[in-house]
Amino acid sequence: MHSEAAIREPLILGHKTYGDITNDIVAPIENKAPTGWYVLMGIASIIAAYGTGCILYLISKGIGVWGLNKTVDWAWDITNFVWWVGIGHAGTLISAVLLLFRQKWRMAINRSAEAMTIFAVIMAATFPGIHMGRIWMSYWVLPLPNQFGSLWVNFNSPLLWDVFAISTYFSVSLVFWYIGLIPDFATIRDKVAKPGMKKVYGILSFGWTGNAKAWTRFEEVSLVLAGIATPLVFSVHSVVSFDFATSIVPGWHTTIFPPYFVSGAVFSGFAMVQTLLLVMRKVMHLENYITVKHVEYMNIVIIVTGSIVGVAYITELFVSWYSGVEYESYAFINRATGPYWWAYWSMMTCNVISPQLFWFKKLRTHLGFTFFMSIIVNIGMWFERFVIIVTSLHRDYLPSAWNMFHPTWVDVGVFIGTIGIFFTLYLLFARYFPVLALNEVKSILKVSGESYKRDAANHHHH
Amino acid sequence: MSSTKRYWKDLGELHQDTEALKGREHEFPQEMAIDQVLGDQSFAGASTGRRDFLKFLGFSLGAATLAACETPVVKSIPYVNKPEDITPGVANWYASTFYDGQDFASVLVKTREGRPIHIKGNPRFGINRNPALDKGSINARINSSVLSLYDNERLKGFMMKSGEGMVSAPEGEVDEAVAKGLAAAAGAGKRIVVLTNTVISPSIKAAVAELKAKYATVEHVQYDAISYSGLTNANAKSFGARVMPSYDLTKADVIVSMDADFLSNWGSSTEHTWQYASRRNPDGSMNRHFQFESRMSLSGANADERTAIKPSELATAVISLHDQIAKRTGGAAVGGGSDMDEATKRAADALLGARGKSVVLCGSNDEGTQVLVNSINSMLGNYGSTIDLANHTFFKQGDDAAVAQLVKDMNAGSIGALLIAGVNPMYSLPNAEEFKAGLAKVALSVSFSAYADETASLCSYICPDNHYLESWNDFMPKVGEYALAQPAIRPLFKTRQWGESLLRWSGNDSTWHAYVKGTWQRELAARGGMSAAFEDTWNMAVHNGVYSAAATAAAAPAFSGDVNAAAATARKAAQAGEWEVVLYTTEAIGDGQHANNPWLQEMPDPVTKVTWDNYVCMSPADMLTILKSDDFRDLYIGEASPAKLVKVTVGGVELELPAVPSPGQKSGTLAIALGYGRGANGERVGRAACVTDHNGEWKPVGRNAYPLTAMNGGTMSYSAAASVAFTGATYPLAITQTHLTHMDRHSVVKETSVGVYKAGDKEAYNPSHLLAVHEDVNGDGAIDARDKKPVREFDLWEEHPVEGVGHRWGLSIDLNSCIGCGACVTACNSENNISVVGKDEVRRSREMHWLRVDRYFSSDTKWAEGRAEGRSKIELYRKMEVPSNSPSMVFMPVMCQHCNHAPCETVCPVAATTHSNEGLNQMTYNRCIGTRYCANNCPYKVRRFNWFNYTTEKFGEVNPAWDDLGRMVLNPDVTVRARGVIEKCSMCVQSIQAGKLEAKKAGRPVKDGDIETACSAACGTGAIVFGDLNDKTSKVRGLATSDRSYHMLEEIGVQPNVNYLVKVRNTEEEATA
Repeated sequence: MHSEAAIREPLILGHKTYGDITNDIVAPIENKAPTGWYVLMGIASIIAAYGTGCILYLISKGIGVWGLNKTVDWAWDITNFVWWVGIGHAGTLISAVLLLFRQKWRMAINRSAEAMTIFAVIMAATFPGIHMGRIWMSYWVLPLPNQFGSLWVNFNSPLLWDVFAISTYFSVSLVFWYIGLIPDFATIRDKVAKPGMKKVYGILSFGWTGNAKAWTRFEEVSLVLAGIATPLVFSVHSVVSFDFATSIVPGWHTTIFPPYFVSGAVFSGFAMVQTLLLVMRKVMHLENYITVKHVEYMNIVIIVTGSIVGVAYITELFVSWYSGVEYESYAFINRATGPYWWAYWSMMTCNVISPQLFWFKKLRTHLGFTFFMSIIVNIGMWFERFVIIVTSLHRDYLPSAWNMFHPTWVDVGVFIGTIGIFFTLYLLFARYFPVLALNEVKSILKVSGESYKRDAANHHHH
Repeated sequence: MSSTKRYWKDLGELHQDTEALKGREHEFPQEMAIDQVLGDQSFAGASTGRRDFLKFLGFSLGAATLAACETPVVKSIPYVNKPEDITPGVANWYASTFYDGQDFASVLVKTREGRPIHIKGNPRFGINRNPALDKGSINARINSSVLSLYDNERLKGFMMKSGEGMVSAPEGEVDEAVAKGLAAAAGAGKRIVVLTNTVISPSIKAAVAELKAKYATVEHVQYDAISYSGLTNANAKSFGARVMPSYDLTKADVIVSMDADFLSNWGSSTEHTWQYASRRNPDGSMNRHFQFESRMSLSGANADERTAIKPSELATAVISLHDQIAKRTGGAAVGGGSDMDEATKRAADALLGARGKSVVLCGSNDEGTQVLVNSINSMLGNYGSTIDLANHTFFKQGDDAAVAQLVKDMNAGSIGALLIAGVNPMYSLPNAEEFKAGLAKVALSVSFSAYADETASLCSYICPDNHYLESWNDFMPKVGEYALAQPAIRPLFKTRQWGESLLRWSGNDSTWHAYVKGTWQRELAARGGMSAAFEDTWNMAVHNGVYSAAATAAAAPAFSGDVNAAAATARKAAQAGEWEVVLYTTEAIGDGQHANNPWLQEMPDPVTKVTWDNYVCMSPADMLTILKSDDFRDLYIGEASPAKLVKVTVGGVELELPAVPSPGQKSGTLAIALGYGRGANGERVGRAACVTDHNGEWKPVGRNAYPLTAMNGGTMSYSAAASVAFTGATYPLAITQTHLTHMDRHSVVKETSVGVYKAGDKEAYNPSHLLAVHEDVNGDGAIDARDKKPVREFDLWEEHPVEGVGHRWGLSIDLNSCIGCGACVTACNSENNISVVGKDEVRRSREMHWLRVDRYFSSDTKWAEGRAEGRSKIELYRKMEVPSNSPSMVFMPVMCQHCNHAPCETVCPVAATTHSNEGLNQMTYNRCIGTRYCANNCPYKVRRFNWFNYTTEKFGEVNPAWDDLGRMVLNPDVTVRARGVIEKCSMCVQSIQAGKLEAKKAGRPVKDGDIETACSAACGTGAIVFGDLNDKTSKVRGLATSDRSYHMLEEIGVQPNVNYLVKVRNTEEEATA
């Protein structure tokens, strides 16, 4: 066992034994859920039910129940899609990229971040589906053999690339997540007393025995999957950005989009992880595992990605001026000073200016402020997509077609509804799944546990 | 086993099993009992138990119930004996004539399987024919008229008054009662008045005469809802003939229009449009057009020089013009011109430079003003050249004074019977209440209206007239010009042509067809010179829709009017005020007869782009002053920005309407369209005249402004002093183009002046778009910013093999000939089954039109000048959004540009939109899944999405495709699109296909002109030309390769198959430059 520099802050607080970790993580599954869980679940499921109703209404009546028009043919639908896909980035980044970089602090947060990813991608995938005029024909986007002769999908279309990118990302994330869950399910199986639960977790754990061979393979598979997942972190949002970048709409047709979108995605993903974890550590009493240090690390990622996004915004403005293209130039001046100036400046404030406050250590280690900022960043990132999509479309080439977009209650209902569905799924996860990768956390207990570090320091001292 | 090769049927035969082979000699088993065949011995002894019985019963009941569920029954009845002329799938075209008192046109009616489905101008005959292009000029009202045939709210039979309402009545009973009533009236010595719009039908005139022969007290009063009494009375005073002359604008080098919207509704506009456009070609000799008017009319929008005046200033402007010309031609001046002398001087100079080749038109209904205009034209020697009184028209014979007298007489009780045809005085008279009171005193009142409209619902009987497509009729639009209407379908309902009704009551049992034919035989014989036998002449006339007798030589009659008296009455009639209101008619709705036509209601007004409402046009500057604002954006009207309601008061009559900022409107004036607000008292005046509004109330579209008209000096006046006040309330308006200017985007709209154009340097007025490249293009040995290549040489994609391979269909659109009338829009609606979506959806910018006419106002702020002055981009962009107070305008029809490098095609994930090998961008509706990515990526924004299922009841009030009768107007060659798919202009691919098949049958290649799209066929001015760009001799190829040709947004490299021709204005300032 290698030892860790004393100067590094411990990642597990208090004096914990292996048994304590198991007990702490399995407790919410074994025992009755805290009241807070029921309250949250109640709220989330009501919103989810309303959102589902809105979606069914949309499908039964037609896309016209949204506020779209002949000029703005995408608005909240694709804004929400990109927003959710972006949120879905953090999980894989934390588990795969940070795994490759041997960042131990990821262990406390990767499980729930991955769960968030899965659910966010499900929410994201809803939108391309329901935004179709004829959702019942949505399977036509798959390159399936058919009876229409040589009729095939259009491989030139970025929307088709989206289909491939999202489905690949979803599959790999799901497998990665589940593989990680197997030893933890086995621990729960061994811990719980109720025969029914034992049976269920027995099936979920795929007969994990926990012998050395199994652990070796587990490590290998994790590494391989991390290797596969890492490029996906970058590819998914790059491909999503191609929807815009390959088009000819001024404000969309921008080569900077892939890195800009990826960093924006990580930015919003970490913000959402913060939102979720700050609540969960309180409700599920995980303060010792998800520490202020974790929160601080994530805030640092937020400053970095937020700054990249800020640079991207400014680069866009520069290029629109430097290119000398009148439509391009107008598109950006219109963003900042046109009828949607408030969306642009909301985006700028939330995404570029406010994260800079995290340069102050006091603020980035303040949990309440971090929670507030995580919401601000998520609002800002929603506006970013809204600005890109709506303010580019609403005034493009022909002034005769210039128009405004006004959302309807169904636009709002579907969006809020997906947040409800997302939280419902996440709360179910928090209740029935191990919210921390407990076996992984155990692996760093002796190295990064507070009491052990203290002991080691004392021992060294003597 | 035998050594020879054997074949066997089964193992029994192979093994020669005797048991199995028994009976093989018989082909069919002979002795087998049925029980053995069934092979079940227990069958005979089977018994059905109670439980089994119940099971069977249950099953049978269930099966029967299921079977009884309704399955759709599709009735399709084939022809038993195929009619000679009707081949399913092949359209028949019949020549006919449209006339409704305001518009006249010789038309062709397209019928499919016996149903009229489309109207276009007659390309070979008629006064509205453009002989240079072989096209019949029509307007939106005329080609939309086919839809009103299928209006379910037309009366289905005769009606009679019963208590407060109307009940249906048998034809015979009504005839008997009316005949009795007429006899009683004549017997009592009371007058029997036939009140009609202007009748130009010789047969109707004969029928009225026949009625008069039977009942001595019959008289005929003609009433035009939009009166021209001032003009016709002036002609009576000036030349002794109370007529509307024929104008020939093809001969006019200079046109000065004093508030006459001759390109829209004034006079014989179906003639004026093509005549005017034929002189707008900058390669020929362009006419010069001056317009003096208060509101921005279609004519004003096309004018080379437009001067905004108040209506009360019109008389002085005419006097000014008159005196300047009088001074220089030696005529008598009347004195007292206006402060617009500069503008009138320029007009006078131009007129004097084109004596005998100019025309002054005047839209005023004031007799004195018109006498002065006659004097001007006379001094200029225009009579006998551009104005023809010898071959005058028979239009606009209505007499305001006679109508006013009639209303008085009705109230006095001296009218015994009133027969009303083609007019709706209860709606269009300002003194409708007086008319109503008088009508109650008339013992017998009969309406021939097709609807129980405002007037008809008050009459004692309604004998509904046929729709014109169900009718025989004849017309004499001008001296020596005859036209025929023939039915294209049998009457759908129990209606009768009103002429035939007159015959019945006169005791003549002839059918209307026979009667018309008889009238013609007499007419033609009387005229003499009929060479062929009458039958042949008649058949030819029916076939052509037109018969032209030898024209009388044009003459220049002496002007005998009193200009001083005229000037005095003109000045007296002018009602000056702080605010003055002008009442006008729109291109779509006209005088209000067709307010029930949803195609017309949804057709955007050419200038304001408002649909489904009338409104008050105001000067934007005035609105800002009243609203105490200096931000033009405060006047924005859009989906979530409703218009502000204003209350307009004219002589005690109040009207509350939304205000629309209208650049070019004279400050201090208000303009309100007539023709709206039909059926205000709940009368059923037709399908779309009343719709459910944003509050869920079923209300008329717009408000009736006729009560604001008034008699002034013996004629009806359409302008008056008024007051206006903002009420503080708002009202949603449905506008299809909410932005007003083109933001100086020169690759969208290119325009120049005739001087620059004639100088011949293409780069000066139509510069090609060049991009800098990193190679030495100009060969100066250095690679720098001067090395540029035309944008078409840059290609990301492989070239589509369209150039020189087979056909490549294309359109060429001349911004100079396009007057913005919108006839192409409704023609496209009719040809392509375009859904009408109603006001609320249009308000949300979801109109489905495949073809729109963009209109742009000029702005006082110019990009290049502003930048040169060092002003900031942000400021310039904002200011360029603001139109000029005296703007010039441009109309630009935009449909799918059928790009050869179409951005929509690459982004569709399912390849639902693809390129044809004939250059068309095709849309496969049943492959579309509705991602709308194509619509986003279309730089021209021409793609339309089916947001809802438009054939459902939700759109039933407006969409003809909803009810069984309305559906009959659908073109069977074009799919009705389902919910959730994108649609767009197909360049009428069904017509292309039909044209190709025709050529194939004839064994020849497709000739230029064989195929027309609906829009190009409807465009009487020839602004839209369709053809094969690969045909080196085609007209469209010639235009597309001409110096004026450009592609919209050329620099983005989408390579459209639609090209535009630069607009060339005949403006003085630059013409000399």
